[in-house]
Amino acid sequence: MKILIPVDGSANAQRAVDHVIKNIATLKERPQLLLLNVQWNVATGNVKLFINQKTIDDYYLEQGTAALQSARAALDVAALPYQYHISIGTPAEAIVQYANEQGADQIVMGRQGQGGLQALLLGSVVNKVLHLANCPVLLIK
Amino acid sequence: MLEMFATPQFWVDVFKIIVIDLLLSGDNAVVIALACRNLPPHQRKKGIMYGVGGAIGLRIVLTFFAVTLLSLPYLKLIGAFLLLWIGIKLILPEEEHSADNIKADTRLIGAIKTIIVADFVMSLDNVLGVAAAAKGNVWLLVFGLVISIPMIAWSSQMVLKLIDRYPFIIYAGGALLGYVAGEMLVSEALFATVVEARHYLHWLIPVFCALLVLVVGRWLLLRKAVSIPVVDLVDEKVDAAPSNKS
Repeated sequence: MKILIPVDGSANAQRAVDHVIKNIATLKERPQLLLLNVQWNVATGNVKLFINQKTIDDYYLEQGTAALQSARAALDVAALPYQYHISIGTPAEAIVQYANEQGADQIVMGRQGQGGLQALLLGSVVNKVLHLANCPVLLIK
Repeated sequence: MLEMFATPQFWVDVFKIIVIDLLLSGDNAVVIALACRNLPPHQRKKGIMYGVGGAIGLRIVLTFFAVTLLSLPYLKLIGAFLLLWIGIKLILPEEEHSADNIKADTRLIGAIKTIIVADFVMSLDNVLGVAAAAKGNVWLLVFGLVISIPMIAWSSQMVLKLIDRYPFIIYAGGALLGYVAGEMLVSEALFATVVEARHYLHWLIPVFCALLVLVVGRWLLLRKAVSIPVVDLVDEKVDAAPSNKS
């Protein structure tokens, strides 16, 4: 069984990681854990005329590594093996694409917990993943 | 000039300028952030500040220049058509342009140069849009630019996220550019006599231009129908033992 946990470094994403760690003993077979961070593709249009690819990739790598850091630390402490991955694109689409590529059996995500204005403006990734995913999605409240 | 701030029309126009700037300047904000990444850490903040400052100055000069140019006969006509095209292009997915072997400059002056040159090249579309929305009102212009440029510099991802959440924003932006193009068209001196005789043209032409941008943009989009690919950057396996951390 493969469990995909998309993380963005937020406390909500971390709750999803913690949930998986806590409940992993209840599974008969130890699952394969996949961590994913998606970086927005900010270098569109003419940006590449002025900035070289290496600088852009370094930026994504730095941001992605930072976003994965707390999830990786928690898994390291729990001594669980995992794979981690950084993609560049639109988050929901990239999460579903990676889940399909890897044949993930489940996606475990944190509910986006921003209230008020932020929830109105953002908070779309979970909804979009629910619509697009081909496997069960577990939302951690 | 103070009573100007009290009219609703002023705030509508400021809103137009901010929307146009936000939608058309994302690229510039990314260049500012990325150009400063190769600097030594203590110079980064300086680089961003000088870069944003320089970009504001350049933008104001360019927009003044555009406003002056637009007062010449026939140029409004050309400007209006350019704006229609810019509106349509906003709706279409961006094509990628890239140049080979750009050297990453690690000096402050080099980073600032990159920011200013990039701003010069990439701001022509929104300079035209803002100049059209300001309709020659200099105070409006400066006010709109001073509010929107710092917003752009610190919120490029915010705009991306908003567009992902509400894709209609991009259509609204395209329609706004079309509307502004239409306003420019009816203010062209060439058509003054026709427009004055038929007053309804003052709103009919802008609305028609906004719809035109939407229809043409939508049509071209359906013909293209390419989705933006997802790129993989890193793929690593980590074994159970924490000591194997890469």
